[in-house]
Amino acid sequence: MSASKSAVVIQNLRKTYQVHEREAGLGAALRSLVSRKSRDVKAVDSISFSVDMGEMVGFLGPNGAGKTTTLKMLSGLLYPTSGEARVLGYVPSRRERAFLSQMTLVMGQRNQLVWDIPAIDSFELNREVYRVPVAQYKQTLDELVELLDLGKLLTKPVRNLSLGERMKCEIAGALLHRPRVLFLDEPTIGLDVTMQRRIRLFVAEYNRRYGATVLLTSHYMADVEALCKRVVVIHHGSILFDGDLTALVERFSPHKTIHVKLADENQDFGAYGEVISREEGQVVLRVPKADTARVTGQLLANMEIHDLTVEDTPIDEVIEQVFAQPKEGRA
Amino acid sequence: MIGLWARYYRAQIKLSLAVQFQYRVAMAIWMLDIVLSPMIYLVVWTTVAQSSGGTVNGFTPSDFAAYYTVLMIVQHITQIWHMWEYEYLIREGGMAQRLLRPLHPINEDISQNISYKILMLMVLIPAVLLFVLLFRPAFHTPLWSALAFIPAVLMGAALAFVIGWTLAMAAFWTTRIVAINSLYFTAMLFFAGYLAPLDLLPRFMQMIAGVLPFRWMMSFPVELALGRVAPEAVLGGFAAQALWIVFGVLVLRRVWKAAVRRFSSVGG
Amino acid sequence: MRYFKLIRLYFRIGVLNELEYRANFFVQIFQTVLGLLTALGGLAVIFEHTGDLGGWRSDELLALVGVYFLVGGLIGFVIQPSMQRLMMDVRTGTLDFMLTKPEDAQFIASIRQVEMWKLVDIALGVGLLVVALARLGRVMDVAQVLGFGVALLAGAAIVYSFWLMLATLVFWFVRVDNILVIFQTMYEAGRWPVTIYPGWMQVMLTFLVPVAFAVTVPSQAVVGRLTLQILMGALGVAALMLFVSRRFWRIGIRHYSGASA
Repeated sequence: MSASKSAVVIQNLRKTYQVHEREAGLGAALRSLVSRKSRDVKAVDSISFSVDMGEMVGFLGPNGAGKTTTLKMLSGLLYPTSGEARVLGYVPSRRERAFLSQMTLVMGQRNQLVWDIPAIDSFELNREVYRVPVAQYKQTLDELVELLDLGKLLTKPVRNLSLGERMKCEIAGALLHRPRVLFLDEPTIGLDVTMQRRIRLFVAEYNRRYGATVLLTSHYMADVEALCKRVVVIHHGSILFDGDLTALVERFSPHKTIHVKLADENQDFGAYGEVISREEGQVVLRVPKADTARVTGQLLANMEIHDLTVEDTPIDEVIEQVFAQPKEGRA
Repeated sequence: MIGLWARYYRAQIKLSLAVQFQYRVAMAIWMLDIVLSPMIYLVVWTTVAQSSGGTVNGFTPSDFAAYYTVLMIVQHITQIWHMWEYEYLIREGGMAQRLLRPLHPINEDISQNISYKILMLMVLIPAVLLFVLLFRPAFHTPLWSALAFIPAVLMGAALAFVIGWTLAMAAFWTTRIVAINSLYFTAMLFFAGYLAPLDLLPRFMQMIAGVLPFRWMMSFPVELALGRVAPEAVLGGFAAQALWIVFGVLVLRRVWKAAVRRFSSVGG
Repeated sequence: MRYFKLIRLYFRIGVLNELEYRANFFVQIFQTVLGLLTALGGLAVIFEHTGDLGGWRSDELLALVGVYFLVGGLIGFVIQPSMQRLMMDVRTGTLDFMLTKPEDAQFIASIRQVEMWKLVDIALGVGLLVVALARLGRVMDVAQVLGFGVALLAGAAIVYSFWLMLATLVFWFVRVDNILVIFQTMYEAGRWPVTIYPGWMQVMLTFLVPVAFAVTVPSQAVVGRLTLQILMGALGVAALMLFVSRRFWRIGIRHYSGASA
């Protein structure tokens, strides 16, 4: 089969920063007037992967893992310390016009829209900046308005919009030129649950309709679960897992936690599962996924339970476990 | 191609006008400096003239009034402030946003520069009228000189922008850009004809002013508007302006390249 | 006294803070030197052409410039930073932290923020004064030194009250930070003796933006031009403005507390 061309190819990409050290106290402060120490921080430590055209990949990792740094290198904002990156065949750091016109970077907490005026005016400007033909612009705009349910939002000054409404407009503005590659950096951060879901649905639909390649970073597992078959886990600048989402969940999050509220917490739970925490009136158990239904049933049958909830292992724990794994954890 | 650029600029300037209009009160307060400073120096020099028998090197008080009236106008047309903004632009992510677009960031600054000057005519024109009423300037400008003023002041504005924008690039390397800005404005004060008409400066200062670009930003257009440039010196003046602009653009391009490299190495 | 202890505490925090930013020190030195060159250069150019400016000789103007730096440094050292911090706090809603402290709010607000490196300006001002006096061959007797001190304090009090009233406006108009620029722009006029300006400007520079009281009056004391009348006038205006600004402040605080209740 003719190999679908790669949209993104990364080889041994590295980014190292120098950070100055400061100490407390008057003496150290006076000394620092004269000399300063610095050390190296490896933000991205030699990662390699590739993404096919039209593929949606989720980057998962805690804060400081290197996700945003990677996206910045792929969008040309940051020069790699070493290694190679190519997006749509271009070298991002050359910032060629043809490259910039075909990609977009949306950062969750940064605005491209002008604050004091209606979004539609910023859109018009973008049309001129990206030289989008009027007919295509109108069509794209109509589709985005429909997909994102923008309605009257576009004519209100951006500062009058709520955070979620603003995010929708930002995303629309970033897609007016129909980029073939989307870099979305924490697009749902700070939004309420409804809005998060709305944006996830939108991204999925956009990918389906236009076949755009999407790289999405998040520390919300739900984002990645909803959108990406393939997930790349980054921690401390290295890739810990690159593969199918279901495989990740299966392999590294084989447990569920059961939160039980009951009268007497000092009972023996050995038969049910591992006790993670025990406080007055509440016990948290860790149980293998396969056993969840059985254990829940037994708890309800054998004990006086006031309340019981079953939860997935938090993603940070999953990542910690992935990190703790030896080489076999890597795809 | 030109059409596409024209359309972009029209859209960008329209947008800048809309945004700046919302901050018109704050901007009008900034204009206070442009109106007040010439007034102060005018009064100082008038006082000097009065105690020196009525003139200073051929400048009467109404000559000084004319000088500073025109200076006020020229300063408005040639002013730049982007070096104050770049520190925030870089720090708060605005520069990153600009770099993601397939367009040189300088275009947005050019548009904002133009739109501000258009908008603030609302403040400048009454100020000029007030000045004229209060200080009674006397003009003896031949027509050709007045006409030559127009391209001269536009070139002066271009030169000021090129130099000022290059200076703003310093924000990519240091946060202490205020020091560099202060140096720039101090040099402008002395060598662009602000503190005093250049002819009134001590000899050694005049010599320094001769080799710096500042006189071509403000002093030259002002002198043309007052009819104080000898006809044979005009072409030489335009040539000097053009040369400085070319030189400035070449430096700007080198510095910009280095600035982007710097930004992309440390992430802004 | 209690208030001096508080002042020392706040200043110490300011100093520790500033030492973190070593570059600020060098920047301030640079700026001050630049300011000095500008002032001296300006004087040099003027006195190429005349022997006196409005009756003031070059060395007397040097004293004026000294006072200009001294007072400017004082304003930049504590008055301006504190007032700017006040306005920012109101805008960002963090003023409550200050209001819930047991000390008088106006006092705290006025000394809270310090820009240590402006001491360089104050030092320069004093230096220029000494040089000017030496060149003039003047030795000030006790009465004159006292007069200078009083004029300086009166000027400082008037400027402080003025800034306080401008800053108090923020309780009603949250976006007035630009208004402080007005003072800084008009302070430029203080580089020269207010007496050279046309009448209407003198009025503005005395009663609208108190530059005359800040710079010209104390300078008059140094060069021996101060009359008892003017000194009494300055004291009177100082007392009046301290009183008015405090009342205005109280009204502002009441308004602010009422609004957020």
